[in-house]
Amino acid sequence: MTVLSDIRHHPKDLTLAAYAAGQLDEARSVVIAAHLRLCAKCRLAVADFEAVGGACLETVEPAAMSDSALDSFWLRAGKQEAAPAPASILAANDFALDAAHPLARYLKEGVDAIAWKNVAPGLAQHVIPADGYRPGVLRLLKISPGVRIPKHTHGDEELTLILRGSYTDEVGEFRHGDLADLDEDVLHAPLATGDQPCICLIATSAPLRFRSIVGRIVQPFIGL
Amino acid sequence: MFGALARRVTAPRQAAKAVPADPDRLNDLLLLVATTADREAFNALFAFFAPRIKGYLMRIGTSADLAEDLAQEALLKVWRKAKLFDPAKASAATWIFTIARNLRIDAARRAAKPVLDAEDPAFTPESEPRADEVMERQSRDEKIRAAFKALPAAQYEVVRLHFIEDAPHSEIAERLNLPLGTVKSRLRLAFEKIRKDLGDSVE
Repeated sequence: MTVLSDIRHHPKDLTLAAYAAGQLDEARSVVIAAHLRLCAKCRLAVADFEAVGGACLETVEPAAMSDSALDSFWLRAGKQEAAPAPASILAANDFALDAAHPLARYLKEGVDAIAWKNVAPGLAQHVIPADGYRPGVLRLLKISPGVRIPKHTHGDEELTLILRGSYTDEVGEFRHGDLADLDEDVLHAPLATGDQPCICLIATSAPLRFRSIVGRIVQPFIGL
Repeated sequence: MFGALARRVTAPRQAAKAVPADPDRLNDLLLLVATTADREAFNALFAFFAPRIKGYLMRIGTSADLAEDLAQEALLKVWRKAKLFDPAKASAATWIFTIARNLRIDAARRAAKPVLDAEDPAFTPESEPRADEVMERQSRDEKIRAAFKALPAAQYEVVRLHFIEDAPHSEIAERLNLPLGTVKSRLRLAFEKIRKDLGDSVE
């Protein structure tokens, strides 16, 4: 597991607590899980919140199990355990997309096989539906070096993780592992810096919302 | 280290209808299961956790039958994966909470659409835990548990709803007839207070 000690932008406390409580939609859970692989500080925070969950579980009103529950348990436990499925190995690259990576199940062909769609000069995206539990959308955005995204705000529930490259904006500099969990009223215009494209993983909570965000971002480019 | 802990615990003689574990002994019992596959220790854990997990899973709106089946599945994971329980990472209640939570998410997902079963992060074996790390994590969990119980009633309620009910912030607000901002600020205050009780600096 990679450990980056220079991560400077982290999820909000409430976001990490919602993750630990199992309350985040799938898309945002993936983004948080990907950040956690890189951030020991947030892993500790999540472990603490899970301890709150443990304390809460003890307070749940018990729902009586059937009389034969323990007997049927041992009957079930005695049956042969299924062999675990072999982990698939994905192409090695700087996304560190090994089989255990939270993104691996969504990018089965690996990162270099992504069919990017250009949405504006210097801006491409790849949309991944994550509409299982609590629908959401995952999106990869690729911003060419030197390209600045026009000013826009974010919905309260959007999360952005930097996977490759970097950008700077009014909030600061965002690099690999940094996560933007911005307040709704933050207006920013990120500029991709460095000499390689900046690739971000973005989670939005609902498709409708997502469309409007694309509109907000792309509108100034294509003059809608 | 496990051996020393195991020796201190005396397993119950008979468990035809198992007696639920004392909440303060959950760790000792799980370590017994982890090290010696002790069935009577497990029966006491089962009697304590199965009805609570069933209660927890019924909050996602499943039938009592399905919740019971899922609670069985959760306890089956506890039994089969007990060797992977890492006391340097979590206390027993915390570990079992994460198993039940992941199962709840998977069950809700399966109900919406079948997907691949991701490797459950509750079972990621790592290096042999060090005694001081175990002590630190266990005492931290214990402090968190005490701090949670000592929260003012209004904060205790929103934290509990957030972790136990299948309800995001907006739904808690609706249910308690509170503005969304109040729910969020109560959660924030509660977490600050827990952190203060832990002796961490509040950022």
